[in-house]
Order: sequence, then structure tokens, then C-alpha cells
Amino acid sequence: MTHVSLQELTKVYPGSVEPSLDQLSLEIASGELTALLGPSGCGKTTTMKMIAGLLAPTSGDVTFDGRSVLKDKPEDRGVVMVFQNYLLFPYMTVAANIGFGLKMRKINQTEIDQRVSEMLDLVKLPDLGSRRPSELSGGQQQRVALARALIVQPNVLLLDEPLSNLDAHLRFEMRDLIRNLQQDMGITTIFVTHDQEEAVVLADKIALILDGRLKQYDVSSAFYSRPIDKATALFFGGQNFIEGQVETGVFNSVLGKMQLPAGCNNGAGILTIRPENIRIGQSPDGLNTVTASLSDKIYMGTQTRLLCQVGDSLLEVIANPNDVQEYEVGQNISLHFPRNALWVLPS
Amino acid sequence: MDRSGTLLGSGFRFLTGALLITWLVLPLIPLAIWSFAKGWFYPSLLPKVWSLRAWEYAFSDTSGVLDSLWLTVGISLAATVLSILVGVPAGRALGMYQFKGKSFIEMLILAPMIVLGIAVVLGIHSIFISMGLTNSVSGVILVHLIPTIPYMVLVMAGIFANYDPAFELQARSLGASPMKTFWYVTLPAIMPGIIVGGLFAFLVSWSQYILTLLIGGGRVVTLPLLLFNFATSGRNDITGAIGMIYILPGVIILILTAKHLSGRSGAVGGFGQI
Amino acid sequence: MSDRLKITLLLFPALSIIIVLFFGGLLVGLMRSFNYMPVIGLTEPDLSAYIAVFTDKEFYLSFLLTFHIAFTSTVISCILAVGAALLLRRRFIGRAIVNFLFQLNLTVPHLVGAIGILYLFSQSGSFARLAAQWEMIASPSDFPALVFDPYAIGIILQYVWKEVPFIGVIVLANMQSIGEDYESVSRTLGASRWQSFRHVLLPLIFPGMLSASVMVFAFTFGAYEIPALLGANFPAALPVLAYRKYTDVDLAARPEAMAMAIVIALLSAVLIYLYVRFSRRKAGR
Repeated sequence: MTHVSLQELTKVYPGSVEPSLDQLSLEIASGELTALLGPSGCGKTTTMKMIAGLLAPTSGDVTFDGRSVLKDKPEDRGVVMVFQNYLLFPYMTVAANIGFGLKMRKINQTEIDQRVSEMLDLVKLPDLGSRRPSELSGGQQQRVALARALIVQPNVLLLDEPLSNLDAHLRFEMRDLIRNLQQDMGITTIFVTHDQEEAVVLADKIALILDGRLKQYDVSSAFYSRPIDKATALFFGGQNFIEGQVETGVFNSVLGKMQLPAGCNNGAGILTIRPENIRIGQSPDGLNTVTASLSDKIYMGTQTRLLCQVGDSLLEVIANPNDVQEYEVGQNISLHFPRNALWVLPS
Repeated sequence: MDRSGTLLGSGFRFLTGALLITWLVLPLIPLAIWSFAKGWFYPSLLPKVWSLRAWEYAFSDTSGVLDSLWLTVGISLAATVLSILVGVPAGRALGMYQFKGKSFIEMLILAPMIVLGIAVVLGIHSIFISMGLTNSVSGVILVHLIPTIPYMVLVMAGIFANYDPAFELQARSLGASPMKTFWYVTLPAIMPGIIVGGLFAFLVSWSQYILTLLIGGGRVVTLPLLLFNFATSGRNDITGAIGMIYILPGVIILILTAKHLSGRSGAVGGFGQI
Repeated sequence: MSDRLKITLLLFPALSIIIVLFFGGLLVGLMRSFNYMPVIGLTEPDLSAYIAVFTDKEFYLSFLLTFHIAFTSTVISCILAVGAALLLRRRFIGRAIVNFLFQLNLTVPHLVGAIGILYLFSQSGSFARLAAQWEMIASPSDFPALVFDPYAIGIILQYVWKEVPFIGVIVLANMQSIGEDYESVSRTLGASRWQSFRHVLLPLIFPGMLSASVMVFAFTFGAYEIPALLGANFPAALPVLAYRKYTDVDLAARPEAMAMAIVIALLSAVLIYLYVRFSRRKAGR
């Protein structure tokens, strides 16, 4: 159980002016599963390598339980990194791969064999110990890579895009495996991904990094309901942004007056609402309702996507196909914006 | 990795790098100095008198150095062209097709890259005698094909392995004849490989000694033979000058092709024989 | 046209040249080594040439010397090449120069390197002169014999000079395509720098290193001009001995020369087998 703290961690690669990572500060509680989320090239992998000791930061500090580990060599940090392409040693058997960390610690072979076979059971590959990595499927290789990491009982586990190379049906299986093992063993785990879905599905908390800077660090649901700014909302698939003014709990814009939830500051802002939170029809009290003209309707199987014009703003609505059957393109449609689903971003 | 940026590490690397540089250029230095020296006797570290005499001799009409130079260029060019003509089709067969016995054929063609030297030269000499090819320039050109062809095939097989024949089918479907397809589609695509492979094949031929010595029977005096003769007769100044002339094509080719010499191209394999 | 016919036609010119000249040469050498030359009426093969060769002390001395030259040169070159490749993987001042010189060295013929070594290390060469300047030696003969010497030091120095870049360039390319991530994984799994090199990088570069080394060994075992220029008169390296026998005025010595050539060829065949085996494994990765 290790509390990981990143303090103003900065990395400027030699020969470049722009920092790849700019003063990242993050507190990761012991035993938590945290995602570092961001587009490729945003500094996620750089951050992981600095935590693992594979890369020295330009400035800032990394501490485990309050103690700086910057001077510790990678092999002494108790941090194991699992790379995206698994990097199983091709010339070793699966068992030798898993036992590698123990062998480096000069543990005797009998004990290594025993612990390797326990590990193989744990990742549900009990009979594959004598195979070569090239004979395994991608999912199996990932399990071996995970077993190879977990056998050394790391304080901190780092995973690089753990689900991205897997087929859709394998992703949930692997997600459950990672979560279960991580929680059973209580290992503080950090993974990086560019895929918000992967982050939401797997992580307790998400740190969104855009352009080398930490944008928002919160539980997953917050990124949908309370994004910190428009860039964050966009990254999480936000669609509807309407500029306007907040005046004592009311948002004035082309949509007319919208009652806001408590806690929105006065002044210019951008109103946002998730497409799936907009309801079809009048609200019971008549407030927060807008009449729009339906400009497109796309049936998508389990849901229907509506594009609605209000003034010069285009709103996206995701609705249950049954609720919008009678509406046709060109007709007017009433949209209800539930007060608690609204959120104002700084403009 | 982590500690690679430390001062100690970079200092160590700089030192070993400097040592390596020294060692790599060292043998070429006395050769270069000798070519400008006049009577450079023990124990002087540098020549007492500098002179262009060796160079004047080398470039004079009577010395035969220039004749030898052009002869060597001609032999190497001919061997290169022939090995391209023969090596490109073979490279295509090995690079683009999977067939039964392929690895055996690969082994046959590549064998001369490993077994050469004296092991087969003597037998080859016997064959050439029976074919009446000894003591002639054409015999020397032919024998140079033994080390250059495998090499050309190796490079071209690598090129063709990454070549998509669908381009040719596309050209044919657009109405190009087989000849036109080869000329406008295939050739431009493999040209870089032909150039690099050809330049290196030239160097492989350029550096042959024992094959030329035996097959040429002393009548075909290429530059390395001349160089060896001067080196063993103690004319160090002229040896130096010829040595400098002799390494020139390599330097030029290196400047032209530096990026292909990274070892990743597979082209480097043939340099075991230079 | 069927693929089969196409492949045959494409391969025909190259294969026929190689088979007729190279394997023909090998076959003729083999026949003559058994004193089998129907053309001049020798139709009864015998082992006399081999008996002569294998009862000659000089042959054994030559063989040992040649093996020593090839083995020592290859091992030293290989170790230094791996070291140099490790160095060239990192940024440092002068890396571009080392890279250039490595490549330059690949294009310089062995013969030129041999002459350079001669001028550097002979008893009146540059190092002897340097030693004389520093008054470490009184006369050229005080300088240790590094060329024409019984231990073939000059020959080995030349091969090392030439082959470190050759193996180095191949190993470096190998390392660059492997990347550093495997070592990173092993470091985070608890391996020290040395353990990462020993248990991860070395096994990964081994096939490439080995096939390059096989080529170097075979070349150094069969090359003529370098030992001819830098070697001692007795015992001479095997290729030099074979050449001398072959060009001996006594034509009876020719089968012996052929027998020696066949011994070298046999050794090379073993090497080819190893080379193919390991280059396959590399390709299979």
C-alpha cells in the first residue's frame, strides 16, 4: 500500500523548448486505481516513466508515502511497468517470463517455480507455462505480462493502455481481471490511456492531461456532469455548448432563461448539457423548456440521435427511439433541460 | 535510461568515443603521411622533407598506376553491371515468392559470402584453366561475379520482400504492356535498391585480391595487386599514394549512401568481404 | 506463365553462375585433392594428398595458427563491437564522427588496413619511433615484434580494426530495432543495469551478433592477403601455405594445396550451417 504523490513534475526533453509535461501535481491514494487520460503525445507515458525511474524529471518530485524516490534506481522502487505491447521476452518460456523478476532477486528456483504456477492460476492460464510468448494470443500475452508484473508484489503498478490492444469482448474480461487482482492485492495502480471509455470503465479516479498540463482530477462521473472547461467536456464527448450570461442562478441565451443548479457564478459562461440528458417534451412546471426545429434524425439502433436548431445554435439530443417515433424532420419539438443536468463552463 | 544523462556517464562515453575515433583513423594516418614524405627514416616521428614525388610518380604515364586504376574501375564496373543483371531477377524470385526448396536455393546463392577465400579459389582456378579463361580480363570479371552476385541477390531480395506486386497488376489493368510495366512501374520502385546494391557490389569487386591474383595470373594487375607489390617492395611513399587512391571510391560511395549503411538494410552483410 | 516456371527463369542466371563457378570450383578442388584428374589420365582416386597433409607438422602448426587468428580476432572484435554499439546507442559528443568512421571503415579494403598496421606496428613503424622518442627503446629491434610475429598479433590487430565496425554496425542496428523498452521492463521488474544487459539485451542481440561473427570467422580463416602481408614466414597461415603449395614449381604439391583448401571449405560448411540456423531463428522472432 503506497501513497504516490507527484509534485510539480516537469519534463523538458533535451533539444525541445516546450515541456512534455508541465508542473503536474497529483495525489494518488494508497490502493487506488487511477487513470492518466489524454490524447497521444500529452505526456502520459513520460509521467509513467518518471514514476518508474526510467526517466529523470527536469524538475519536481515523486514521493512514495512522503519519501522522495527520485534517487532510487528503477529496480529499487518497487514500481512495475506493463507496456502496451506487453514486451514478453521472446526467447523465454511463459514461465520464465513470469519468474523473471524473482530470478533477478536471486530467489531459489523451487520457490520461483511454485510462485509462477500460483500466478498462472491467478491469471487463468494454468497450462501455458512451457509455451513461448509467440504462441499466445494477444489477450494471453497481456495476462502473462500482468502476472510477470504482479509476482514481484510491487508497491505501484503502472499499466500502459491496458485494454486498447484487445477485442471488445476481451476488454471487459481483462477489466474485471485487472480490477479484481488490483483490489485483492491492494496495489496502487496507475494506467495511461487515450481512450476515455477505457478510463471510465477501469479507473476509480481520472486525471485528464491536455497539452502537458493537468486539466481535471476527479471521479469518472464528474467529467460528464461537472467538466472543468470546454476542452474537458469536448474530450468526454460533450456536444452542446451555448454561450450566454449567468444572472443569479439563471442562464440567459438564445435558449431563453434557464434555471441553473446552485453554485453557478454570475457573468459570461457556456451552458452545457449531455445529449442523453435532454428530455423530449415540456417540463412539468414549464420552466427550462425550449421549442426547437428538428433538422435531422438518425436512428442508431438502441438510441436515436436528433439534431435540433434553436436560433443559430444546433443542439444534439440522444433519445429513446420509442419516444421520438412521431417526430419528423422539419417539425417543431419541445426540449426540456433538467435543472440538475445543466452545467456552466467558463467562457 | 535514467542515469544516462549524468556527467560521469557522458564523460565516460566521450572518453571511450575519443579512443574509438583514434583507433579507427590510426592505421590510415601513416599511409597518408608516407604519400607526402621523402625519405622518412627511423626514428623521425614526422618526415624531414615533404614532397609530392610519390603522387607525381603515381600520376605519371610511365608508372602504370593510372592504367591499373582504369583497369580496376573497368573490371569492377563490368562485374557490377553483370551482377545487377543477374541479381535483380534472382532477388525478385527470392524476395517475392514462397516456393519449395527456397531456403536451399538461398543457401546455394549465399554460400560464397561465407566460404570464399582460399577454400574455393584454387578449384576455380582449375576450372578457369580448362575453360581457357585464366590470364584474361574477362576471366577476372567473371570470377568477381562469385562474390558480387550473392551480395546483389541479398540486397534485391530485401527490396522485393517489401515490394507490392499489385502495382504491376494495376499498371497492366490500365493497359501497360509487360515491358512498359517493368520500365515505368517496377524499375522506379526498385531503383534505390539497385543503386545501393550496385555501389556496394562495385566495392566488393574493387577489393578482391586473391581471385584477381590467381585468375589474372599476374597479367591483370588491378590496383590492390599493385598496392601489394609496392607494399612488399618497401616503396612506402608510393604505397601511401596508391593506398589513398585505392580507398577513394569507398569514401565517395559512403558519402553517397551513408544512410543505407546503417546495418538495418541488410546491405552491410556483404562488407564482410571487403 | 506458371509461377514455377517464372521462378526458375528468374533464378537461372544467378544460380548457374554460382553453381558452375563456385560449386564447380569446389568439386574440382575436391577431385584434385584425391588425385583424380581424368583429363590427364589420373583415374584412380587416392588419399595420398591428405596423407601428406595430415602427416606434415607444418600443416598442424598452420592450422592452429589460422584458428588462433580467426578465433581471437572474432572474439575480440565481437566484444569490442558490442561495447561500441552500446556506446553509439547513447548521445555523446563525437557520436556522429564515430558513426561516420565506422561506416568509412567498412569501405576501406582489408589490404589498406593491413598496410596501415604494418606502418604503425613494425619495428621501424610509428609506435617504435614514438617509443624511441620517449627513450623506451634504444634500437628498432628492442621494439616488440608485433608484425611478422609468431602470435600473429599484427594480423589480429588488422582484423579487429576492420571487423569491429562490421559487427558493430550490425549489432547497433539490431539494438535500435529492439529499442530500450525491453530493458525498461526488466529494470522495473527488479533487474540491475548489468542484469538487464545480461539477461535481456544480450539474448535479444545474440542471433545477429552470432551471424555477423560467423561471417567474420569464415573470412579471417580463408583470407590470403592479410596474413601474406603481415604474417611470419613459418608457420604461415593456412591460406598462405595452400597458395604456396599451389604455386610451387613442383606440380605434385598441387593436390596437397587442394586438400588444405578442402579442409578450410569443410570448416566453412559447418559455419554456414550455424549461420543459417541462427539467422533463421532471428527471422522467426
